[in-house]
Amino acid sequence: MLRLQLVLISTVAIAILTLVFAISSSFSMYSSNTTNYDSRKSVSSSGDNYRIKAATLNTPHGVYQTTGDILDPTNQVIDDRNKIVIDPMKYLRTFNYGRVSTLPNGTILREFTLIATDNKVMEISPGVFYNVWTFNGTVPGPTIRATEGDLVRINFINNGSKPHSLHTHGIHPAEMDGSIDMVGPHGGKFVYEFYAKPFGVFPYHCHMQPLEEHISHGLYGVYIVDPKKPRPVADEMVMMMNGYDTDNDKENNFYTVNGIPYYYMHHPIQIQKDKLIRVYLVNMLEFDPINNFHLHANMYQLYRSGTSLTPSEYTDMVTMSQGERGILEFTYNYTGNYMFHAHKTEFAEKGWMGLFLVKDKNELDKMVNDSNNNNNFAQRNTATTAKQTLPGGHGGSSRY
Amino acid sequence: MEVVVDINKTDKQGGEETMDRTQQHHHPIIAKIKTQILNKKMILVALIPIIILGGMMIFLSSPAGQILLHNSGNSLPEITIERIEFQDSKIIAFLRNTGTTDVIIAQADINDRIQSAAIEPGKTLSRLASAKVIIPYSWNPGEPYEIGITTSDGIRFHKSVEAAALTPTPNLEQVSFFAIIGTFVGVVPVMIGLLWFPFIKRLSTNKYTFFLSLTAGLLLFLGIDALVEANKIAAQDVAGVFNGQMLIAMITIVSFLALLYISNKLVERATTATTSSVKSSKLLQSSSSSLASAATDSRFEGRVEERNQQELQHRKQSSSSLFTIAFMIAIGIGLHNLGEGLAIGAAVLLGNITFGTFLIVGFTLHNTTEGLAIVAPIAKSNSKVMLRRLVMMGIIAGAPAIVGVWIGGFLYSPIAAIIFLSVGAGAIFQVIYCIISWMKNNNNNIDVTKAREGRKSAWLNPSLIVGFIVGMIIMYITSLMVSS
Repeated sequence: MLRLQLVLISTVAIAILTLVFAISSSFSMYSSNTTNYDSRKSVSSSGDNYRIKAATLNTPHGVYQTTGDILDPTNQVIDDRNKIVIDPMKYLRTFNYGRVSTLPNGTILREFTLIATDNKVMEISPGVFYNVWTFNGTVPGPTIRATEGDLVRINFINNGSKPHSLHTHGIHPAEMDGSIDMVGPHGGKFVYEFYAKPFGVFPYHCHMQPLEEHISHGLYGVYIVDPKKPRPVADEMVMMMNGYDTDNDKENNFYTVNGIPYYYMHHPIQIQKDKLIRVYLVNMLEFDPINNFHLHANMYQLYRSGTSLTPSEYTDMVTMSQGERGILEFTYNYTGNYMFHAHKTEFAEKGWMGLFLVKDKNELDKMVNDSNNNNNFAQRNTATTAKQTLPGGHGGSSRY
Repeated sequence: MEVVVDINKTDKQGGEETMDRTQQHHHPIIAKIKTQILNKKMILVALIPIIILGGMMIFLSSPAGQILLHNSGNSLPEITIERIEFQDSKIIAFLRNTGTTDVIIAQADINDRIQSAAIEPGKTLSRLASAKVIIPYSWNPGEPYEIGITTSDGIRFHKSVEAAALTPTPNLEQVSFFAIIGTFVGVVPVMIGLLWFPFIKRLSTNKYTFFLSLTAGLLLFLGIDALVEANKIAAQDVAGVFNGQMLIAMITIVSFLALLYISNKLVERATTATTSSVKSSKLLQSSSSSLASAATDSRFEGRVEERNQQELQHRKQSSSSLFTIAFMIAIGIGLHNLGEGLAIGAAVLLGNITFGTFLIVGFTLHNTTEGLAIVAPIAKSNSKVMLRRLVMMGIIAGAPAIVGVWIGGFLYSPIAAIIFLSVGAGAIFQVIYCIISWMKNNNNNIDVTKAREGRKSAWLNPSLIVGFIVGMIIMYITSLMVSS
């Protein structure tokens, strides 16, 4: 019986050991750290002074109370301006008209400076950092704007480590096309000069090889040429549709309008009821053959490429391939929240969606007054929105 | 001794420098002190490389060392999604940082669509730390899902589930359901297999050899199967940092050697007991001829109680090595069934399995052969086999399947699965080794005592070879019924 006992004991011993191992390795997953993070604080803080506080995750699928962190790009805000790739609310209504002077022959000269870099690692979605290549430090680059017939002079400086260039769509001589002649890295310079024509909305972008790499990393922006006789007064905004391939597998991980996924979901674009809205829409999305813009509960007049004053289509849905663009004009007659997003659902669910918040004029005025004393970054954006809404367009011009 | 003296001469503490060699040789106390000093020196000598090694590691991790190792490549972050659970309106992914640097988790997605989620205990994972990501989500049963986790540098890691199923929670209903599955997969088939005992007992020597080698064939299949299964888990679910494949090899060999040692000890002990008994010589004789006479032996285990107790005791002793083999087989099969139960439980947990009658019947057929493997070696022992003991062996071999289903279904860990399977494989290989060496010895015995068949290598016996092959084929065919 002794050997039977021995056998049994060894069996039991092996069983217990393995059982203990299995249980301990499983339970180690459940073991909770005593350090808890306040979700909002952890986004902004650089790692100290965490408060212990339970966070609540609110989703359409339910509410979840957690002692841990929240991962919620649809609601979270990147509120560190030094890390964020762009402030979408500021970008939305900022049009740069350049340093303006008049030439002896009466032509208006608009001078711009665009500086290319390729070494920045910036936050492109809450918690996600990506090596962006930028014009003037943001993706998309600044919107430059001129009137048909103006002389546009762009002082281009390449501070990057790779050759870059500036290729602007529109009509101009070959040597100003920026597609073949590179501008050397580490401080290379070139002055692009051409007359603004025809009127319309255009992309500009780096045209160096490999083009896919240079565009997908963020070297692009919007260039607008106004007709000599201005379009009707409107609340104007620019929207650049793009994406980020953060894991470099030639597929986009994030899709956005104006640089940050879901940004206008938690920061709705405030517009005034019954006021004409004009959107300069450009698609620079890399890798995916198409992109589109769908507006909820409304229809818009579509001016393809913006090169005509007569709308080409009355629709709520436009599809564009890379480099395509247009002007959208619409008016909301009811207040409330209205979605706009890519009707390629995948893109929408990876960040390309946003909200228009339509308000009465009185409401908007009140809000501007309320938020004047507030230093909160998010609210300041809203305030900017409201302020610029009121003058109706060419408000936020700044010099580059 | 000269070495001792030399060392002592250089030793400050040693007061023996003045002693001459003859004194040393003849003074036991001094010799003892010298040995102690020598031991201390030995320890010191052994420690020197370790101290140098420690110094080197401190240097390399110091700022100076970091400068030295600078630019030696990027250390890429890596996380492994070890497990995915489907709960009521939630999907939970268990992560581990299996890279070489700290990782910050940024976002979660389901089917490559970004979702709002929570991460506990926090989004920063140090090396080998784990966390769980909770994603509120109205998932649909039976549909495939891919869970993706994006780290702060934008790299996405993902894991797929073939068909979502509610993760079992350890309530009474689920525990008993798993117990039933384990019973049908493990206990029942082994018990059925044990019923072959009277049949095997009446077989002629050649046919018996055939069945014994058939058993070895069955077991070899099971052993290889365990290794293949473990390798599959290692490749699919275990992060590279744990070096899963080498873990399999290591544990298999360790368990083989350990069980070999244990079983040898057991046989030795039993043999010693036998030879010391009064009737030892007689018993040895009967033992050697037991295989031949057993063919006409019509007694069976049901009438054990009627037997003379003393005689029974001796017979048991004589066939102790056979019993040891049978027990070792039972243990080996038990470990195998534990692994099998684990795999079934894990498949339930991971949503990879739907229980059908066919699958259960398949497992039952497949595992019935395991019962045969247990009874084959003891069938020819001359002693009476107690029913109680037979049942116990059946339980040792079969019941671990129940435990396996519980562990696999409630707290699956791929590493634990690998360990179980590897221990099982080692145990099975040890049993095969025992069977083969036992058959070889007994064939020689037969040759000597009967002098009929002439000298044959154990391996050239056709029944043995055919048995082995048939065993493998049976296992392969029955395994087709359970492979999905």
